[in-house]
Amino acid sequence: MAAITIDDLRGNPRRLRKEAVVKNVFRSAAGLSILISIGIVLALIGRTWSFVGEVDLGTLWGDNWAPRSDQFSLKALLTSTAVVTGIAMIIATPLGLGSAIYLSEYAKPGVRRTLKPILEVLAGIPSVVIGFFCVSFISPNLVQRFFDSAGTFSLAAAGVGVGILTIPLIASVSEDAMRSVPRELREASYGLGARKITTSVKVVLPAAVSGLVAAFILAVSRAIGETMVVLLAAGSANASQFSTNPFDEGLTMTAAIASQVRGSDAAVSQSVVDSLYFVGFTLFAITLILNVVAERFVRRVRQAY
Amino acid sequence: MALTTIAVGGRTAADRVREELTAGGGDAAGKAFQAALITCLGIALAIIVFLLYDVWGDASEVLPSRLSGLLSGQYTASAGTAGIFNALRGTFSIGAFTVLSFPIGIAAAVYLEEYAPPTRFTRLINVNIRNLAGVPSVVYGIFGLSILVERFGSFTGGATPIAAGITIAILVLPIVIITSAEAIRAVPRTLREGAFGLGATRWEVIRTQVLPYATPGVLTGTVLALARALGEAAPLLLVGAIGERLSDRVGFFDPEGLRKPFTALPIAITDWAKRPLNSGFFQNSAAAIVVLLAIVLVANSAAIVLRNRFEKKRG
Amino acid sequence: MQTKRVKWAAVAMVAGLALSACGEDDPVASDTTEAPGGTTGDATGETTGEPSGEAGTSEGEISITGSSTVAPISALVADEFNAAGSPATISVDDPGTGDGFALFCEGGADISDASRPIKQEEADACEAAGVEFVEIEVAFDGLTVMTNPANDAVECLTTADLYALVGPESEGFANWSDGQEIATALGSATELPDVPLDITAPGTESGTYDAFIELALGDGAEARIESGDITEDDAGTRSDYSSQADDNAIISGIEGSDTSFGWVGFAFAEGAGDAIKEIAVDGGDGCIEPSIETIADGSYPLSRSLYIYVNAANAEENSALAEYVDFYVQSSSLTDLVSQAGYVPLPDDRATAATERWTARTPGSDLLG
Repeated sequence: MAAITIDDLRGNPRRLRKEAVVKNVFRSAAGLSILISIGIVLALIGRTWSFVGEVDLGTLWGDNWAPRSDQFSLKALLTSTAVVTGIAMIIATPLGLGSAIYLSEYAKPGVRRTLKPILEVLAGIPSVVIGFFCVSFISPNLVQRFFDSAGTFSLAAAGVGVGILTIPLIASVSEDAMRSVPRELREASYGLGARKITTSVKVVLPAAVSGLVAAFILAVSRAIGETMVVLLAAGSANASQFSTNPFDEGLTMTAAIASQVRGSDAAVSQSVVDSLYFVGFTLFAITLILNVVAERFVRRVRQAY
Repeated sequence: MALTTIAVGGRTAADRVREELTAGGGDAAGKAFQAALITCLGIALAIIVFLLYDVWGDASEVLPSRLSGLLSGQYTASAGTAGIFNALRGTFSIGAFTVLSFPIGIAAAVYLEEYAPPTRFTRLINVNIRNLAGVPSVVYGIFGLSILVERFGSFTGGATPIAAGITIAILVLPIVIITSAEAIRAVPRTLREGAFGLGATRWEVIRTQVLPYATPGVLTGTVLALARALGEAAPLLLVGAIGERLSDRVGFFDPEGLRKPFTALPIAITDWAKRPLNSGFFQNSAAAIVVLLAIVLVANSAAIVLRNRFEKKRG
Repeated sequence: MQTKRVKWAAVAMVAGLALSACGEDDPVASDTTEAPGGTTGDATGETTGEPSGEAGTSEGEISITGSSTVAPISALVADEFNAAGSPATISVDDPGTGDGFALFCEGGADISDASRPIKQEEADACEAAGVEFVEIEVAFDGLTVMTNPANDAVECLTTADLYALVGPESEGFANWSDGQEIATALGSATELPDVPLDITAPGTESGTYDAFIELALGDGAEARIESGDITEDDAGTRSDYSSQADDNAIISGIEGSDTSFGWVGFAFAEGAGDAIKEIAVDGGDGCIEPSIETIADGSYPLSRSLYIYVNAANAEENSALAEYVDFYVQSSSLTDLVSQAGYVPLPDDRATAATERWTARTPGSDLLG
């Protein structure tokens, strides 16, 4: 047996070549995501720019969103979006977080294994279905029963629907965050004589707070992006007025885009088409900011343990 | 035992000890808290049950009596014979494109977890993918409309299942990458190190150790992504799914359909629910919801079964 | 094992894609000459019973877009056309009249359904793109004014009352009786009840909205402009009402309040049955209930025409398209199918005029204002 030379350690050149090819294929797959982002920005930016050039930007802070009458109140859309998202979070945060604490801290493993998937089924229900459920059940039986001033269609009803849609997201991400809190923290707490409630609320929740904030931000981002529920349940046709009252009708940014491509008889002008791109670009920018913030929190979670 | 029998000042010692430990009140707060948590979970679960009940009530006139007619009928204007054949075909094509994009997503995940050096570029890709996962689906719809339908209309044929399928595939790609990356990250280090120690190249480690171990987890994520893809309506509105009537003689698996006008299940549901109330389409719409839910729930359940097996296998 | 199976599935999938890609390479034009073999999708044509007339035999694709109000008629005609033996593939989309014309005038559709006549700028776009069209009136649609069945106080409203309740001057009116002063000033004798006024109606971009402004509010607005109470720019409606793009949503809104008010297309109001109460309208000749007869003979004041616009050049090249429109304008379609779709057939003279217009391929619109 000859001594091992450097050539033996270098390995079989064919295997190494294959290795390089495979690596490059995988790298281009990952790089594709950058191309998609560039594609989205390119798709949006041209007409956003011509929109900015051709309309009276003063109408962005007006009171009416009615693109086919040259009124482009971004203010009305942003307000409705904020109202729907706010209500959705009021519904989804306690329900999602409560479910997460129960599943993570209280439930026996068997119970957890059964209930968590069922909750995830809720995440899989198409939003069109939730939209109809909103109109046929939630609005008459919940919103209108408790709030006389509410009509059949309201931002509140849409908000509840979007909230239902985001419960599983909050529950799932929060539960993961709490379960990743090291066992030792809980044991130390019990060792000091703390009750379960104290341990859950004062020890586990603070330790998982970054993950919980990330869950919340992701849910906000999902709520802002939801289209069909709002389109079906919030009740403004193609045009909408500025209002901060949750029991009024309204159009969120996403619904404004979708409702302009369907259900209007008025004539189409270039600025109508461009306004869709403008709203789309605004949405993209808002969710980008939210996701970058959420990313910060998620990273902090990973660093902590 | 002994503690409970010794009474001090009218109370048992056990009560006193418990009081000391729980700061009094017999942990009423704890009980209330737990009850509140269970209520939260109960409400969330009750919503699902109610929703299914509500939809089933409206669908019961059509299902199960007209199930086969509904599944095989064309998307036409007579409520009694109209069906979701074309809509199912559209949804199937979109699903097929989505499935075809899975290898790309999984490859990207493998790169990010196994190859990528910790550089700024890698971080950029990671942040970018998480951001793409959060971009609203209508924005993908605008992308599909302006890039796939208009700019590359000669390739996609305009508002066709090709354009819609690619749009939806791109929409779920980041979700596929993220969930696959998580599954790959969960593969124990020791498996890799063992294989490297035996002289395997990185690709050989991935092929023989990492991917087999991660497969159930990857499948779970991808199936959930598929379910999401099939239920998306908003991007299809923008890409130009047909909303009133579509009848053609194209078979379910006939690739000719890829170049034709299309519709999809969520679109048919929205459209039918808009018709006059006595027209019978409202019931058709509810029945179509049941079909869509059945598809989505079967996909979800499959994913859950896979994951449970996966978790058991890992102990 | 598992990975191997997955790998094979992926290979099969890719092979499938490659095959379908080959199929796609066939020029689209050849599709029209090939007989599509016995596929599972062959259900077309078996949808309805009695064929109502002569259909063509040409293969071909017909794409129809435009108004969601007219789409049900075009779709039903397509069903019957296929049922009568035509092998044509017909798609009907309903993005709205404006979007329909936008696509049609780019040459992107064969027929545009319209719930209003084409506008000047749309006709200009057609001309610029070299799209010549034939305008055909196909049906009447009534606008039904309605309230909740529980609202006993209201049976009939004059057009003056309608103006008082939803005209531009009614902004902020929370009760029906708030409109009394204006209604009386316009010469109405109706006593409006002192109950909350909850309006759910079509949005400003709906053809149903435009038609309502013109037919129901036009006289009132004119009188008020003359008397100096409003200016030309104010015409339209109040803006503080619940606007809906979806007609069933409007009906849900009417059901949702005991003293509601709104209007929808006749087909949708009839479809709602007892869930709503139709209000008779007095346009100066007494209270008239909306019905097929009163809309057809023109005695019901709130009715409008529905149209289809056909791309003349495409009809020349694509014989399936020509056959479809032939089928559309024959008398049995214009009467039976229109009523089946919930709309009101044209009177004989107008139906004949529509048929003649198509037969002569009369180009352009007579209705540009």
